[in-house]
Amino acid sequence: MPLTNAPTLQSDRLILRGPELRDFEPLAAFFADEERAWGFGGAETRADAWRWFASNIGHWHIHGYGYFTIEMRAGGQPAGLSGIWNPEGWPEPELGWLVFAEWEGRGVAHEAAMRARAWAYEELGFKTLTSNILPGNTRSVALAERLGARYERTYENVTMGRDMLYRHPGPEDL
Amino acid sequence: MPHTDIPVLQTRRLVLRGPEPEDYPDFRATFASYRSRFMGGPLNKYETWILYAAEIGHWLIRGFGMWVIRDKATDETYGMAGGWQPAGWPEREIAWIIWPDKAGRGFALEATNEARRYFYEEQGWDGAVSYIDPKNLDSIRLAERLGAVRDPDAATIDGSDVVYRHPAPGRLRNSQISDGIALEISHYSDPLFKPKGFPLD
Repeated sequence: MPLTNAPTLQSDRLILRGPELRDFEPLAAFFADEERAWGFGGAETRADAWRWFASNIGHWHIHGYGYFTIEMRAGGQPAGLSGIWNPEGWPEPELGWLVFAEWEGRGVAHEAAMRARAWAYEELGFKTLTSNILPGNTRSVALAERLGARYERTYENVTMGRDMLYRHPGPEDL
Repeated sequence: MPHTDIPVLQTRRLVLRGPEPEDYPDFRATFASYRSRFMGGPLNKYETWILYAAEIGHWLIRGFGMWVIRDKATDETYGMAGGWQPAGWPEREIAWIIWPDKAGRGFALEATNEARRYFYEEQGWDGAVSYIDPKNLDSIRLAERLGAVRDPDAATIDGSDVVYRHPAPGRLRNSQISDGIALEISHYSDPLFKPKGFPLD
């Protein structure tokens, strides 16, 4: 039973698909791991994680986009999330990513973010995208730069506090 | 279940529909206001939007959720009512919220009564509770008008709420409670309604 109208996208090693109920447990485990989740924010308790999961489904229904679940083509396990996030109060639509602990260090976030960005440009018609990164989140900064994004400014995020905004190359630059 | 498959319910004055993006401004105004103080508010615009998105997600995950209460004739929205059970809720809740300037006209009673009927008769619920802030006297009164009774032994969400238990389907069907609710709703629906005569005892 699909929870959203999300399309299914493919890349070399990954499938990007809409959220499914079986994605909740690995997502809740990610949110519970403060070491990994602090840079993503959004949920401090299991109840918060559930609300975030529900909000992402609603996000798809309201905007027609949201976070995909990243699934490994070999094996089918959920490996993380990547997609476009744009709740009210956000500075601009954001290209975001997170990877579950056991899939770190394999370029999964990079491959997924590339695919999600291409989809946003080609299918949704976005002309630009940003990524919001908390100061000190060096791994996400490194990934943003690998994706060709450049630091633009620091601003006050409505929920995350002081936050850095990286701007991705537009569709023409890619 | 696609979002568009959320059932539509009708009562004398109201239509209950799934939450749509265009209903969001009224929801935001309510959660930015003091009215939302018993529901975790007031919230900032991000928190409010995220909660509204979760209202939609809840329907998809659970197969039930909160409807938007609309006027059958004018399509104006008055609030939300329905079922709610996010993670951390011990039992399925029947919940409601009325926009600040629409209170006092019996919309919550009429909508909640229909939502409960639907859950009992169409979705097979064998009961439900309402979690209420003990300072929220309007909601406690509504729970009592719906025939719910405080259940001091039931698990609460976080200890700051009290649990009102709704009558089970068998106790509600053709009962004095449901007759009383119907009478109250007709009184709101038709201000000219007057009972024919008065009981002598």
